[in-house]
Amino acid sequence: MYKLTGVTKEYQKGRGVVGALQGVDLTVADGEWLAVQGRTGHGKSTLLNLLGGLDRATGGTVELDGANLGALRESELTRLRAQSIGFIFQTFNLIPTLSAAENVEAALIPLRVSRAGQKARTTCALESVGLADRAAHLPAELSGGQQQRVAIARALVKEPKVLLADEPTGNLDEDTRDDVIGLLEHLWRDRRLTLILVTHDASIARRAQRTGVLTDGHLTIRQESPNR
Amino acid sequence: MFFIVYLRRELRRRRRQAVFIALGLALGVGLAVTVAAASAGVSKAQSGVLSALYGVGTDITVTGNAPPPHYSSAGSAQTAKAAPPPKNGNGETLQISPGGGAQICDNGHCVNAAGRTYDRLVPPYLEPISASTVADVARLHDVAAAAGVLTLVDSAITYPANSAASPQLATFTVDGVGTGHTPVGPLAAVTVSSGRFFTAADSHADVAVVDSGYAASNNLKTGSTITIKQVRFTVIGIVNQPQNTSPPDVYIPLARAQTLATATKNLGGSVANTVNLIYVAAASAADIPVVQHEISRRLPGDIVTAAGSLASQVTGSVASAARLTSDLGKWASVLVLIAAFAVASLLTMAAVARRAAEFGTLKALGWPIRRIIAQVLGESLATGVAGAAAGIGLGFAGAAIIAAVAPTLSATAPSSTIGSMQQVIQAGGTALGNRTVVVPLSPSITIGVIVLAVILAMAGSLLAGALGSWRIARLHPAGALTLVG
Repeated sequence: MYKLTGVTKEYQKGRGVVGALQGVDLTVADGEWLAVQGRTGHGKSTLLNLLGGLDRATGGTVELDGANLGALRESELTRLRAQSIGFIFQTFNLIPTLSAAENVEAALIPLRVSRAGQKARTTCALESVGLADRAAHLPAELSGGQQQRVAIARALVKEPKVLLADEPTGNLDEDTRDDVIGLLEHLWRDRRLTLILVTHDASIARRAQRTGVLTDGHLTIRQESPNR
Repeated sequence: MFFIVYLRRELRRRRRQAVFIALGLALGVGLAVTVAAASAGVSKAQSGVLSALYGVGTDITVTGNAPPPHYSSAGSAQTAKAAPPPKNGNGETLQISPGGGAQICDNGHCVNAAGRTYDRLVPPYLEPISASTVADVARLHDVAAAAGVLTLVDSAITYPANSAASPQLATFTVDGVGTGHTPVGPLAAVTVSSGRFFTAADSHADVAVVDSGYAASNNLKTGSTITIKQVRFTVIGIVNQPQNTSPPDVYIPLARAQTLATATKNLGGSVANTVNLIYVAAASAADIPVVQHEISRRLPGDIVTAAGSLASQVTGSVASAARLTSDLGKWASVLVLIAAFAVASLLTMAAVARRAAEFGTLKALGWPIRRIIAQVLGESLATGVAGAAAGIGLGFAGAAIIAAVAPTLSATAPSSTIGSMQQVIQAGGTALGNRTVVVPLSPSITIGVIVLAVILAMAGSLLAGALGSWRIARLHPAGALTLVG
């Protein structure tokens, strides 16, 4: 699925340059669950942005199914994200004026799915996260856990190849966190997704197949976990 | 449809800001509409003034020049040589003796004027123009129509049988007009309220058409008779004239007018086959200068006046109002519109900045940039539509307020102009004073103004949307997503 070779990412900060990633090499197989741990500010979100085509590496290559993301035009990256990559954010990032169902439908707009198709797939996605009865609710009317479920449904409704989750439980309490991670794990197994999850929580990281640790932009892959 | 749902929900969420932007646009548009309506009303008033002074449908008039003053042997214009008493066309003259007695004389035979009426029908102090000139003018290139008129005044002095009583003077104005219908001239814009117009068969008949105001004052109706130069004319029609014009009291066939009237200059001479005023309509407004030049070239001794040159001589509150709407009004509208556009743009860009994370999320979901821009533009346009509607409403309200509180406008023009000729004649002299016409100010909102209002509001909202879109286009998705929380 993914092959990263000598990837670096630098940001201009005032007069200086900040190196967010330093020579990262990484391979992620199809259907694999990789958890990336690290403290705040060590490059986890930057790595996810590069994997999702939301940003471009300063050096090295990021390949997805053989395509160099750095060489793609912006429109091609946009299409790639629309079709193949699902995002889940720490703060859910739901559109506040749209209902749960409408937020999920938003992911289908770029795919030009028919109205009937949109409704069917949205209903199915919400059912898969156990929120079919909350379809008409606005985000403000949902709990944090429910909002994150809607975000998961939105990420999955397009049937992506890869799911990128950036601290999906960061804003949730312990019980809800376990529910959401459990749901993600279930969906990963059920749909054979490639799941790359960023977290600072070791207990969550341990549930993945492989764990990587980012320290000052350097990625170290730990041995595989028992979860296969 | 997702686009509409998202748009509607977003406008509802930013209701206050959307209303504020719409109101700002509405104020600018409303002011522009009000000024445009006032300007249209002033233009209409000016047209009304020109019509009153000039006649409806007339682009150019031709009049004979005033005759030169008659100098004494001392060379002073003020001491005019004593002239023989004028004849009234019947060969009669009126002689007032130093003792105050009046006599009506005919070929040297004089009788006491007591119990008699001395009636004159004369044109004002202008050179006559040959009637054939009317046809020559009508044949000119770019002339749509021409009509010749003999403008006259009937003055009747009645001496009572009791010589101790004062004589009674009655005057009224008479226009000798062609009996065919022409789209130019004093009868071009009249409407018949009773009876009929002249026909070709009336060319030499003793028939008259009377102005409704004069008819009411003198208890005349269709079938009544009126005496002109001691000839009884039958009233065949009563007509209504356009408001604020100065029509003659009576119209009679041109041939009868030419027969009955006597020339002022010749002091009793004939005015046969002459007119003293030609109304000309050009084929189009663009042709007026050319036609005016051509007529002036062919008739060098006559006065050729175009409505446009008259307009520049008009003064009074209508002229002030015209300046007010074109200068202050126009610039006030422009300034308010610029302010409204600026506010709309700033608020839209601020809203885009606040929604950066939302747009970053949409980019992460794979929304093309043009789709996001279309959403923002749609929101701006919706606000613009609301602004346009409110602006048009404000414009109507503004126009209504102006119509309710604006004073009646007045316009003053030199009375050497044609429409004032009746006043000059009635004043009994050639004094070139000023004539004032009063016209109401009626602001009017046309379809064109409404379309302008919509275009202005749309332009403002599109500008705001375009600036917001520019900001979105520069948005880096990764950077935008870091703004969440």
